Amino acid sequence: MENFIKKITKDVDLSFAILLSFCVYVFFAINIEVFFSHNISFAILERFAVLGLVGLALTICIIAGEIDLSIGSNAALCAVIVVKLTDPLGAPLAMIIGLSVSTLIGATQGFVIAFIRIRAIVITVGTLMLLRGVALLIAEEKTVMLTDFRVPDFITTKVLMYFSPASLTVIFIFICVGIFMRYTKYGREIYAIGGARKEALTAGIPLRRPMIIAFALSGFCAGFAGTVIGLKSGTAQGLGLQYLLLAGTVAAFVGGVSILGGKGGVLGAAIGALTVNFLNTGLVFYALQVHFVQLFTSVLLVIVIVFQTMSRVFDSRQARKSLLATIDERKTSLLEKKRSALGR
Amino acid sequence: MSAIIENNQLPFSAKFLQFYKDRTLLAILLSLFAVMFIYGIFFTENYLTITNFKAIIRDAALYGIMAIGLTFVTLSGNFFLLSLKETASICGVTFAMGMATGFGSPDLAGNFLVSLLAALAVGVVSGVIQGYFVGMGGNPIVVTLGGAGILYGIGAWWSDNLVINFTRPHDAEWLGTGSFLGLPSITWSFILIAIAAEIVLRHTNFGRKVYLVGANKAAGKATGHENFSMAIIVFTICSVCCAFVAVAFVAQMDSAQSNYFSAEFGSSGDMTILVIATVMVGGNSIMGGYGSTLRTSLGAIFIAMVDNMMVLQGFNSGPRIVGVGLMIVFSIIVFGLFAKGSRAQE
Repeated sequence: MENFIKKITKDVDLSFAILLSFCVYVFFAINIEVFFSHNISFAILERFAVLGLVGLALTICIIAGEIDLSIGSNAALCAVIVVKLTDPLGAPLAMIIGLSVSTLIGATQGFVIAFIRIRAIVITVGTLMLLRGVALLIAEEKTVMLTDFRVPDFITTKVLMYFSPASLTVIFIFICVGIFMRYTKYGREIYAIGGARKEALTAGIPLRRPMIIAFALSGFCAGFAGTVIGLKSGTAQGLGLQYLLLAGTVAAFVGGVSILGGKGGVLGAAIGALTVNFLNTGLVFYALQVHFVQLFTSVLLVIVIVFQTMSRVFDSRQARKSLLATIDERKTSLLEKKRSALGR
Repeated sequence: MSAIIENNQLPFSAKFLQFYKDRTLLAILLSLFAVMFIYGIFFTENYLTITNFKAIIRDAALYGIMAIGLTFVTLSGNFFLLSLKETASICGVTFAMGMATGFGSPDLAGNFLVSLLAALAVGVVSGVIQGYFVGMGGNPIVVTLGGAGILYGIGAWWSDNLVINFTRPHDAEWLGTGSFLGLPSITWSFILIAIAAEIVLRHTNFGRKVYLVGANKAAGKATGHENFSMAIIVFTICSVCCAFVAVAFVAQMDSAQSNYFSAEFGSSGDMTILVIATVMVGGNSIMGGYGSTLRTSLGAIFIAMVDNMMVLQGFNSGPRIVGVGLMIVFSIIVFGLFAKGSRAQE
């Protein structure tokens, strides 16, 4: 425990994330009476099932030093596939097909990025549009609906007061990905190519394997988020779910990833997603229009970016100052040596 | 140095390839043009009419102007803005507010010049603020993603998410629906802006600086051209282009709403991605330093042409979006493969 606290206080970004999420929670808990209740906690965890996954997907990509813009389209495609196939095939098989399609799309993106050695933002802008079009094609430009709305009940029943099967699965995914990223060779490779790509490649890490794994994981997470949304509401649209990109990015950045890569982790992603959830759930009580939610989420993102940029500028200034100080010291000592040599 | 030595020892075919490396994408684009054109003549009705070509260039003009603005950002190595349509929408709302209510004072209501200046000023402010954050060292994608939400939120808040109407005999008609020498005004402005941008990039000090900073940030910094001022200037140029398009579009529709540019704008998907697609299909290097506004204009016309043909053939929005998406991915992969071993690897 003491070790854990020491680790958190040493990591400035993570402690900032915890502080921020605490502030947001306390603000709403003071202003809204029912905020601190079982039902609201259940609702927050339900939202966490979606936003947490998208945040996790973006966190993995950003740790690898890239950013995946096609997450919303990937989720929409998966939702359309799952909702469309649930009627003829049953929910479990539909989920397996949808998730494997999303994972395959992610892996293909990772392969192309590593093979051509191109920046991910470039290719994922293309796939954003392509996947959206494919989703529209599959949905035939209509809203796809389930015929029997009782089918997806199995993911929304309450378990253990706070949880549902969906949120339990998501927490399980979080733990698995956390262990994978932290303790396995393949997970460490993702950190390596994100933090110092040139050095990692020189040290003999193949670029393709970690890139494919990172993007496949992110595709899987996006697809799972799309599945949960699609099954919960029973409907899916080809053009929907584009707001997930903003929410996921905010969650990832509040969680303390650095855009330069190689920094951050699963714990941060969870805290970031919870912060965004607190904000969204709290704003529901003020009965605001949708654009206000978007406005406040973006303000949160800007606050975090400003904090990160400032701390980076401050760090580099500090480093420069200390470098200059050591140079000065060396100069003066050399001068003294010279002087003493001349004097003798 | 080593490249020069290698170049001398290469066989003829490789030399040929090297020479056409730069021009390959342009050649591919032009040949695709030709294929599309011939296909259109033989298999699509009403394709080879002057009215249709005017429609194509008019379509291309709307996102072409925005894409020319974005080309400056891309050339200077700042990737792209994800807040294009939101900037356009808040500028459109500003313009419509000015035309409808005159910002609270009835004397100014319907005053075209004041409304235009207000819209452009909003564009300048949003561009400067985003450019400042990017210049300070923020990632352009993330900064503009946040900026997009804020701009959209403010625009929707200001207009209460309602449609702002103003009645037809107004001063901005010449820009919206008027035409000059048989071409719509928006097409003329597209042509003029394209020529002006090309001249600025090729023949002015500033244009060469854009290429320098984009091609090599470190060299730019060493010679005193930091990305800080450059980011602010190029973001402002891009936002002003968005504001101009918004004004023209609102003048045409006589109304504005905060999500006019969001879903299903004109053709495929949303405006932001379409504009980014235009820049990429034209074959500009997204890492900066390579490309031109001429390519962007050609890309805009090409996308408009393909889209127009698909509309005439009776396709729905799904296949059209797939078509544009395939074009982007194809051009990225071709460009990436040709640039392999050079700048794309950083």
